[in-house]
Amino acid sequence: MKKTMVTVLSAGLALSLAAGCSTSGNSGSNGNEAPANTATNAGSGTNAGSGEKVTLNIFQYKVEIADAMNRLKADYEKEHPNVTLNIETMGGGADYGAGLKAKFASGQEPDIFNNGGNAELTTWIDKMEDLSDQPWVSDVLDTAKEPISRDGKMYGMPIGIEGYGYIYNKDLFEKAGITELPKTLTELDAAAKKLQDAGITPFSNGYQEWWVLGNHLFNVALADQDDPAALIQGLNEGKGGLAGNPVVEKWFNLFDLTMKYSNKNPLTTDYNTQVTLFASGKTAMMQQGNWTQVQIDGITPDMNIGVLPMPIDDSEKSGNIMVGVPNNWAVNKNSKNKEAAKEFLNWLATSETGKRYIVEEFKFIPALKSIEVTDEKVLGAIATDIMAYSKDNKTSGWYFNQMPEGLPQEVGAEMQAYVAGKVDKAGLLKNIEAKWTSMAKK
Amino acid sequence: MKSSGWSKSWIQQIVFTGPVTLAFAIIVALPFFMGMYYSFFEWNGVSDNAEFIGLSNFINIFSDQTFLSSFAFTARFTVAAVILSNLVGFLLALLLVQPLKSRNVLRTIFFMPNVIGGLLLGFIWQFIFVKGFAAVGEKTGWALFNLPWLGDETTAFWGIVIVTIWSTAGYLMVIYISALINVPRELIEAASIDGATPWQRLRHITVPLIMPAVTISLFLALSWSFKSFDIILSLTKGGPYNSTQSVALNIYNEAFQNNNYGLGTAKALVFFIVVALISSAQVWLTKRKEVQV
Repeated sequence: MKKTMVTVLSAGLALSLAAGCSTSGNSGSNGNEAPANTATNAGSGTNAGSGEKVTLNIFQYKVEIADAMNRLKADYEKEHPNVTLNIETMGGGADYGAGLKAKFASGQEPDIFNNGGNAELTTWIDKMEDLSDQPWVSDVLDTAKEPISRDGKMYGMPIGIEGYGYIYNKDLFEKAGITELPKTLTELDAAAKKLQDAGITPFSNGYQEWWVLGNHLFNVALADQDDPAALIQGLNEGKGGLAGNPVVEKWFNLFDLTMKYSNKNPLTTDYNTQVTLFASGKTAMMQQGNWTQVQIDGITPDMNIGVLPMPIDDSEKSGNIMVGVPNNWAVNKNSKNKEAAKEFLNWLATSETGKRYIVEEFKFIPALKSIEVTDEKVLGAIATDIMAYSKDNKTSGWYFNQMPEGLPQEVGAEMQAYVAGKVDKAGLLKNIEAKWTSMAKK
Repeated sequence: MKSSGWSKSWIQQIVFTGPVTLAFAIIVALPFFMGMYYSFFEWNGVSDNAEFIGLSNFINIFSDQTFLSSFAFTARFTVAAVILSNLVGFLLALLLVQPLKSRNVLRTIFFMPNVIGGLLLGFIWQFIFVKGFAAVGEKTGWALFNLPWLGDETTAFWGIVIVTIWSTAGYLMVIYISALINVPRELIEAASIDGATPWQRLRHITVPLIMPAVTISLFLALSWSFKSFDIILSLTKGGPYNSTQSVALNIYNEAFQNNNYGLGTAKALVFFIVVALISSAQVWLTKRKEVQV
């Protein structure tokens, strides 16, 4: 009796542990979620205009705007007494995609959610409403349209435009005696050397984060190609193309340069540490974008900063910064409150209050021509610089979200191995090509 | 209670274990089998269409280099964590059954890490490794603290092992203490009178008598280490360069990051079978060593 009990118990435990593994994604993400939302019983309401009560569930990933979204909720509900917004934010360290899947799997489908476009659009397209007929579509910048469009239909509204490059501390540059801003690789090297000689750590590299490497830094190698799309297509088809590519060869110069003048232990430096090091004046440069403005302001208000390009050689194109659409608002195709959701997006894009929120509260560089930034100071120093680069056409695109899903994470890991000296250049390119081939096939 | 018919013992069993079995079936067993269903499909976890592809997922697993290396990591990690956490737990237990004044306080303190959740614990230790160790290293110049903790393969591996031991040894200690208390005094005394050294008493009387506790502790440590997820996620996220990616983390990434839900569940099924075989073998082996007084 005792023996059989033990056997049954241990078998049960074994089963439970394996099941625990198979569902660990759900439990892991549930841990990060806010308490299950109870406000989903909007039930009968189908039309915002009909006077019935409607609850719109918005599930978004930008932690930086969570507070502003709550203020927006109050304003929107005042203007639309029939609508209640239920806003949930999950992002930062948490895995938004897994959280969204858990929501769909558990039947708590949000009415409005975020989608990054390209590969992510392919994954979620079955759940996304075609928004081509919306009034704001014609105002979207052409470059922002492409990632979220498929077969001539547009499936989302770009939340804004973001750019990244090397954010630099103007005061520290002055202290090191750098008068001319570095625009080429040689100049960047010289500037970093001057900083180091002045006792200032030139770069804070957040190379623990896969996206700093696998998305943003690797993107430079793709974006500086003469024809990025052709290279990506070749890689998708398993033909390779990275090894022996002259631009990729030169891209290593930049990668090596950041490591040569790096902070200590870049592989254990996460995003927070990277920004903190920079914002507290311990390092002079970091590879980041305008989303860090809020955090920098929190540490050192009115910091004297700007954006430098990411040069891989001394040519003209090297002086570009990387600009793209980080994400889009999408409407759930199966939502009962589709019309109300569309109306909300329309309000955000066209009403005075909505526009004000995008620029002044969210601090997004607008992706819609109809939204004007009257006072550039509102967005902060980094965004101001990015807009200046955009005006001069000194920008390159974001190509990393055209990579197969999950690949940037793998590329990030491979690049970490290069940082650690585990693989050489040829080995790194070979590994990335192999991963690309196998992940594109799936 | 002696054989008064089948029905009576069945009613007893249903009353006592029925509710738990039901909850287990709904919460664990059912999702388990539903999940396994998808291992025969190519499905991204979102799309409305899942394509039946038979056994190809299972065939693909064995050519997946990252999965195999995550298996190797998990195996190495399990060996280190199971042995060390049991050793530490046992030694603590031995120490805390001695008549010490502070033993109740110490028992609580050593058990405490187990109460803190894995994620939180991982983040705390990440801070200690990255910031705390670096600060100590700067002040003292000791080589151990000046290592790039969590920044390379070796330190990341041992970092995870250390945190795992720290969080699980207390729990195992409690199991060992309860077993040690139950070892009959007279046997130990008789052995002392016969001239057995402390080591001989431990080796030939105490250890054989606490084998049931060893079975349980080994089993627990084994299953904890195999499915290790949260500590690794918060400490290293599987990095640097995937060198500390456990199988559980690999399965999670496959299903939710690479959006290959079918392949992910196929991996989970293979992993389940391997873990079930190993734990059953372990329980069978250690149970043979158990003795009755």
